Amino acid sequence: MDSITTTKLSSEEIFDLMKKFITEVIGEEFVEEMDITPESSFTKDLEMDSIEIVSFSEKIKAHFGEQIDFTGWLSSMDLDQLINLNLGMIISYIEECQS
Amino acid sequence: MPIVTVNGKSVHIQELNKDAAETIVLVHGMFSNLSVYYFNIAPLLATKYHVVLYDLKSHGMSEKTLLGYDLESMTNDLLALMEELKLQKVHLGGYSFGGLIALKMAIRFPERINKLAVIEAPDPNDDKTRGIIDEYSREFLEHYVENFTDTTKVKMGKRQMERNHRMYEYLFYQTSIKTDMELEKDFFSSPAIGTIQQATLLLYGTDSNCLNVGKYLDELIENADLIAVPGDHNIPIQQPLVIAEALLNFFQEK
Repeated sequence: MDSITTTKLSSEEIFDLMKKFITEVIGEEFVEEMDITPESSFTKDLEMDSIEIVSFSEKIKAHFGEQIDFTGWLSSMDLDQLINLNLGMIISYIEECQS
Repeated sequence: MPIVTVNGKSVHIQELNKDAAETIVLVHGMFSNLSVYYFNIAPLLATKYHVVLYDLKSHGMSEKTLLGYDLESMTNDLLALMEELKLQKVHLGGYSFGGLIALKMAIRFPERINKLAVIEAPDPNDDKTRGIIDEYSREFLEHYVENFTDTTKVKMGKRQMERNHRMYEYLFYQTSIKTDMELEKDFFSSPAIGTIQQATLLLYGTDSNCLNVGKYLDELIENADLIAVPGDHNIPIQQPLVIAEALLNFFQEK
C-alpha cells in the first residue's frame, strides 16, 4: 500500500505516478508495447476495462487519501465522458485538488 | 485492494460510506463485475447508505472457483459475506444473474433482507439465456462483441478480447457453471417466488427481451412494483442515473 502523500506534485510527477499505477494494474508486458502520453485515453488507447479502472482508482485513493475524491469525480461523468477520459484530464484534476 | 475471505476463497469487495445506519448490498451479473455499480450507481446510493459491492466468484478480481454456481451456493456465499462484514439485515439489489441471486436470498433468508431490488433478472428457463452458455466459442465472443455491445458503446480492444476470452473459457469449460445453471431452469415456476414478502422493486428495460419476466414477477410477488426504464438489458450501463435514483427513492420510501 502506498503511503498517503501531502506534498504537492508537479504535472510531470503526477504523470509518472499515473504511469506507475497503470503498469501495476495492466502489467508491464502490455505497457512496454504502449506509448503512454497525457493524451492516452483509458478505454481506447490503454484498453483498460472498468474493473481495471476500479483498481486504478483504488491506487489513487490509497496514495492521495481524502485530498482527492477521485471516485466522486468519475461519478459525475456520463458514459461518453468516461470513454473519452484521458491521462491529461486526471493530471489536471489532481493538480486542481492540490492547489 | 479490499479482499475478504468468504467460504475459504478471496472475494474482492468495495464499501462506500461505512458509517451510514443502513446497508445496501448490490450483486452484479454473470460475466460482469462490481464496476457495473461502482462509478455512478453506488456513489449516489452512498449519499444515504452504506453500500457494499462484491465480485462474484471467478468474476472481476475475486478468486477463481471451479464449483458452486447454482443459486443455493451463490446465496450461501452472500450470506457468508454478510456474516464476515457483520451485516445483520440489508437492502439487497441484483442485476441480471445477480437479480436471481437476490430473489433466492429473499426466499431463503427473509429475516436478513429488508427491501429487494431486482434489475433485469432473466428467466433461467429462457433459451436465449441458456443459449449463451451452451454455444460459447471464440467466434461467439467476437460476434457477440461486434453485434450486442454497441448499446453500451464500448468496443473491446485486443487485450480486452483476450482477457474476456480467458474468463469465458474458464467459466464455460472448467467450472460447473453450465450444469449448475441448467439445474435452475425451473426457478421461476417454483412456488417459492410467490412467498417473497419484501417490498420489491423490479426494474426492466422497455426494449429488453426480459421485460415480460418483469411483468411475470410483478404478478407473482405480492409487494412488487415494476418500473420500465428506457433501454434494453443493459439499463444500468445505459441509464445509470435513472437506475440509481429509482433505487434510492425505493429504499428511502417508508
